[in-house]
Amino acid sequence: MSIELQNIYFSYGRVKALNGVSLSLGEGATGLLGPNGAGKTTLLKIMLGFLTPDEGEGRILGYDLRTQQRMIRKLVGYMPEDECFIPGMDAVTFTALMGELSGMPRQEAMKRAHEVLFYAGLGESRYRLIDSYSAGMKQRLKLAQALVHDPKLVFLDEPTSNLDPTGRQEILELIGEIASLKNIRVLISSHILADIESICDKVVIINKGEIAAVGRIEDLKMINYRLYELKIWGELNLFKRELEAAGCRVEETEDRVVKVYTPPEFDHRQIFLVAARNKIQVRQFIRSQTSLEDLFARVVGVD
Amino acid sequence: MAEIREKGYHHWDGQLEEKRWNFWPITRTGIKLAFQRKYFKFVFSGAFLPAMVYAAGVYISERLEDFRFMAQGAERTFQVNPAFFKSYLSLDFLFFMIILLMALGGAGLIADDFRHKAVQLYFARPITKLDYLLGKAGVVVFFVGLLTLVPGLVLLILKLLFSGSFKFILDYPWIILSIIFYSLFLMTFFTAFVLLISSLSKNRRYVSVIIFAVYLLSDIVQGIFWVIFRSPYSALFSVKANLKQLASAIFLEKLPYTYPWYLSLLVLGSFCLVSFVVIKSKVRGVEVIR
Repeated sequence: MSIELQNIYFSYGRVKALNGVSLSLGEGATGLLGPNGAGKTTLLKIMLGFLTPDEGEGRILGYDLRTQQRMIRKLVGYMPEDECFIPGMDAVTFTALMGELSGMPRQEAMKRAHEVLFYAGLGESRYRLIDSYSAGMKQRLKLAQALVHDPKLVFLDEPTSNLDPTGRQEILELIGEIASLKNIRVLISSHILADIESICDKVVIINKGEIAAVGRIEDLKMINYRLYELKIWGELNLFKRELEAAGCRVEETEDRVVKVYTPPEFDHRQIFLVAARNKIQVRQFIRSQTSLEDLFARVVGVD
Repeated sequence: MAEIREKGYHHWDGQLEEKRWNFWPITRTGIKLAFQRKYFKFVFSGAFLPAMVYAAGVYISERLEDFRFMAQGAERTFQVNPAFFKSYLSLDFLFFMIILLMALGGAGLIADDFRHKAVQLYFARPITKLDYLLGKAGVVVFFVGLLTLVPGLVLLILKLLFSGSFKFILDYPWIILSIIFYSLFLMTFFTAFVLLISSLSKNRRYVSVIIFAVYLLSDIVQGIFWVIFRSPYSALFSVKANLKQLASAIFLEKLPYTYPWYLSLLVLGSFCLVSFVVIKSKVRGVEVIR
């Protein structure tokens, strides 16, 4: 297991940021999803040892979260969400410095800095001052510095923010390649569900400091709920109320499609019975392909 | 023959080392960045002016016969003794140049990291807070050491070379220790002074101004207290006066102020201690607002 957390609690004063988080993650790329303030970044910072949990235990790559933070940081690469750099430096010197601080010999760090900068798409501009970089270039630089010491596990906090669609696609391809081909475990925290869906096979959804769902994306989509899309004629409110009382979640889209999220054990024929009871005509009934957005909305309880 | 590699990500086949001097890359980078700052090289060169004048003084002191036509009755002026070394190491101009250098090259040491959120990048690596602070302190120590310890020892070596004997060392066997000890004290004090102020703001310009302001204002406060109370203890408020008082004590010279030297040591030592505590609390891998 690359990440094992048990009952992690953390509070900022009276505000509870993490409330008994337990996690167990292995190989590959995992997405960390959650609305703003859910505790994603706090969780990443606890795993890096920036913050000490109030309660709970954990191991990252087999090293204890509380007592072996230096070993963890040696083997982990971190790409922060914030725009952060050391002013007055060029990209290659900056990246080499980060490698050296991780324990690489100076010359090796410099050699490796060139390699990862080329990999991140900054080969041509690696001697330019970082201060003159665009937001997208700084994003690539953050990825390069996270990879310079060839980490076993990489934490990426909002890796595609500030990027144009092409840049975003390129970064996603790089991350996908790292995660799938090169035996590096990747944990990506992002708001952009499509990004997570395109490169991660597993997902952790965190909400209000608690784990709301965890597992393979495909499995979660199957297990957690089923989605049916209906077009109906008649009064929606009573129909909706009765389905919700039966444990379903009902939404109406702008184009008047009614989405019914049902629990796994729910018999879809019930929908027709409820419709009949409420004198509603069901004019279209489709078992819908669920997306990560649907899963997220269902688990977190937002549209 | 060079290996032909596929395009894309490649693993690094080396081994990460446990480094004993984790702070050194930070110090080296800080020194390099300081030299890149505008006017820094010019001021840095200018800061060696007193050392060159004093070196010339050492030479002249040993060749007074040759220079008699230039300096009539200058034997006392060009006498190289402990007071000569104390005078160099507590020179107003030297202190001013150190402050100027630090305002140019040291102000951003921590402030820039705060401003550009770089602290988390350092602490995402296997380094401790102490490594980080030592790395930053190393930059100040390097420059202050170059202007105090190095010239102090070079002047001593020049004295021995030009006199052609070890008589000076035999007369004043403690002089090396005095030079080393006082230089180390200056390094410690200026490190605490610069890093404290640098850790109090995210703006290096404010830090530069505050470095100057604190140094100069302390003299003004001393002056005000002197005018009001006419007490020698007013010198305790001045950075410069305390450093001079301590220099005199370390070089076994007459104290410039009539209060005991250890009070100056206490003031400056307490300042260093408080600075360390404040800096330690200000530098965090993550900003936590509780």
